Amino acid sequence: MSKTCIIYSFNSNKTRLVAEIIADAFGKGKIEKVNAETITEEQFLSFDNMILGVPTWFDGELPNYWSEFVPALEDLDLQGKTFAIFGLGDQEGYPENFVDGIGILAKLLEERGGRIVGETSTEGYTFESSAAVRDGKFLGLALDQENQARLTNDRVKKWVESLHNFIK
Amino acid sequence: MKNLEVPKIYSIKSTEKETLGKWFRLMTIGRAIDEKAPNYLKQAIGWSYHAPYAGHDGIQLAVGQYFEKNKDHIFLYYRDMLTALSSGLEPEEIILNGISKATDPSSGGRHMSNHFAKPEWNIHNVSSLTGNHTLHAVGVARAIKYYGEKAVAISSQGESSLSEGFVYEAINGADKEKLPVIFVIQDNGYGISVPKKDQTANRKVANNFTGFKNIRIIHCNGKDVFDSMNAMAEAKRFALDESLPVLLQANCIRIQSHSNSDKHELYRSETERNYVIEYDPLAKFRRLLIRYKRFTGEELHEIEESVKKEVKAAHRAALKAPDPDPSTIYDFVIPDPVKPKKYPEGVHNEKGEKIKLITALNETLKAEFRHNPDTFIWGQDMSNKDKGGIFNVSKGLQQEFGPKRVFNAPIAEDFIMGTANGMSRYNEKIRIVVEGAEFADYFWPAMEQYVDSSHDYWRSNGKFTPNVTIRLASGGYIGGGLYHSQNIEGALVSIPGVRIAYPSFADDAAGLLRTAIRSRGLTMFMEPKALYQDPRAATVVPDDFEVPFGKARIRREGSGLTVVTYGNTTHMCIEAAIELEKEGFSIEVIDLRSLIPLDREAIINSIKKTNKALVVHEDKVHGGFGGEIASIIMEDAFEWLDGPVRRVGSTFTPVGFHRILERAILPNTEKIVSAARDLLNY
Repeated sequence: MSKTCIIYSFNSNKTRLVAEIIADAFGKGKIEKVNAETITEEQFLSFDNMILGVPTWFDGELPNYWSEFVPALEDLDLQGKTFAIFGLGDQEGYPENFVDGIGILAKLLEERGGRIVGETSTEGYTFESSAAVRDGKFLGLALDQENQARLTNDRVKKWVESLHNFIK
Repeated sequence: MKNLEVPKIYSIKSTEKETLGKWFRLMTIGRAIDEKAPNYLKQAIGWSYHAPYAGHDGIQLAVGQYFEKNKDHIFLYYRDMLTALSSGLEPEEIILNGISKATDPSSGGRHMSNHFAKPEWNIHNVSSLTGNHTLHAVGVARAIKYYGEKAVAISSQGESSLSEGFVYEAINGADKEKLPVIFVIQDNGYGISVPKKDQTANRKVANNFTGFKNIRIIHCNGKDVFDSMNAMAEAKRFALDESLPVLLQANCIRIQSHSNSDKHELYRSETERNYVIEYDPLAKFRRLLIRYKRFTGEELHEIEESVKKEVKAAHRAALKAPDPDPSTIYDFVIPDPVKPKKYPEGVHNEKGEKIKLITALNETLKAEFRHNPDTFIWGQDMSNKDKGGIFNVSKGLQQEFGPKRVFNAPIAEDFIMGTANGMSRYNEKIRIVVEGAEFADYFWPAMEQYVDSSHDYWRSNGKFTPNVTIRLASGGYIGGGLYHSQNIEGALVSIPGVRIAYPSFADDAAGLLRTAIRSRGLTMFMEPKALYQDPRAATVVPDDFEVPFGKARIRREGSGLTVVTYGNTTHMCIEAAIELEKEGFSIEVIDLRSLIPLDREAIINSIKKTNKALVVHEDKVHGGFGGEIASIIMEDAFEWLDGPVRRVGSTFTPVGFHRILERAILPNTEKIVSAARDLLNY
């Protein structure tokens, strides 16, 4: 049986809340929760399916904890691994870099053989550009707690449903 | 320019341990002083201006690491403490600047604290005016390119400074001239309290320049050491290899307030303040060093402990350094000009053919360009086929000296002035002449560079002086109206650090221009454009004529009244003297030739003889230089006066366009005769 986890910062607020909703949507205790702030290469490689929570910081950057894991990530072989990424952003305050974090992480994972699943439509969002968009779709789930918090639950629900096709 | 990849040269895994250790040490020293600085103020020792850099650590380290002293030129801004350290300044030198000691390498306590410099290494002393040095970087890069040196100019500044028009002028100029300048934009999101959304529409201000043809734009995470190092490595490689400018925007955070006079709690939420603390670049670097097993915690602790000792020792040494000496305040206001050997008084008895004032200027420029191959001239309308200068004063220069020494400038007066300042930083041999504007009336946009240049010498404690002569076609009597007829010297004479020459005759124009160009320092050379072709101003001009500054010329001797004048009105005063002589009066006409320095002696000695004084100039009486002359006379020659000091000049209005208005506003011979007669009869 494949092993699934959800990785996010346990010290974050909004990302943690969303991560818990997602984890619960899979069924309590079904997937393991891993703290992105302390994750090791060994831990990372021990899972087959990973749901990653990555807010976008500043003008389109990874948060420090993901950024600090990148040098480790760069040397990993991720073939056979499946990733679904959700990310929080602010489409009004940062319209040029909305949820860039999703795109940055997706690119890093793909370049090392990882498979990205859970693409979503860009409909319903208003922004100028995003590193997370490819072929008109987000490479994961984009959430905006600053401007569209009321849409979050529904978006998460639909996304998790779509992930069931990939993550059993 | 299209986006190009930035190669990854540095990473936590591949960079040598020794290098990582050096960086950590520098960053720890910087942060220790950055955090200690406010204590100096609390203890009333100094450092009353401190702009903390914490949050800019990555990019500042990187910029300094890529600065090669005595080769590259770097212009730091007031938040660049770590850049200064990373460029090679010692902790003690940082503190000497912070507490304004006489041995501060930046300015000897003359300039604000947190303005780090060491001009002898090409770490230039800069203004507090944000982004002002951007033009200097472009100017010095022009010299780097002209002399074929493999070096770069680096202008470091905050993102809000790009709202300044002159920064646009600088970037445009570097792009147009294809100059090796790296503009490092440290973006911490705020201009004091103003968020960047209130500065420009793009959150990444560098993207405002994506339409520029030659400039390379690079973005990096200025909080991350490796991303910053890679970005700076690529910026320098590109600038050197391609001889093109780079705009490097580094995303930073401001962990503290703007400065110690700001309180960011007033406008930043607690959440935001905590958010930026979480991304403390030094803490991140430290974590990386340990996480990737490059250093142990104990090893880093050892460095931190040794830094504490080093900073303490630097602190103690700096406290013992001498304070500035108040008796030195007059040092380095302006360098001494050259003193003509053959013509010590600036007069001659040459016989021959008279030439017009415009010809005298043209021939002198050419002679000086032949005399010194490191002489340059630029301005608007400077050179296009047979056109050489708005009034053709510089006609033929480009044909003889080529487009690299004689060239057009964009219609950007501040750029003209600022790049002159910058280019002259390259070496002491360089002499620059600029046509500061088409007409003196258009010089105002250049005033920020003019003012800045005026105190460069004083501010740097004598380490740098812009060797620049600014030529301006000045004054009226041509029916030019507003923007083509004003006199601006009244506003300029109150600014120390600039010589101001204002000749009336061809020979003096030639002699003063030669002295100005050969001298170190800044000279404002006002040209009375109404006299360019006027036969009254034509004289014989010796080929090698020189006129010293601060030596007036008695144009007509007399015993009943002293008339002190300069520029256009000299000729009217002479005519008035001739007319009044017919009535039996004897009038002495003093042509000042230079306003700063002023020949006080000539004025006072004349008044001792005549006992009466009339001051005449074309500029407004109100606020004009005549007020200063009159005051000097009252202070130094009151005992010899037999009447009040009178002034004749233009009315306290702009100069009107219609000739009727112009005549009503500007002084003329008739008005001078009338005022002189009243005074003679007093």
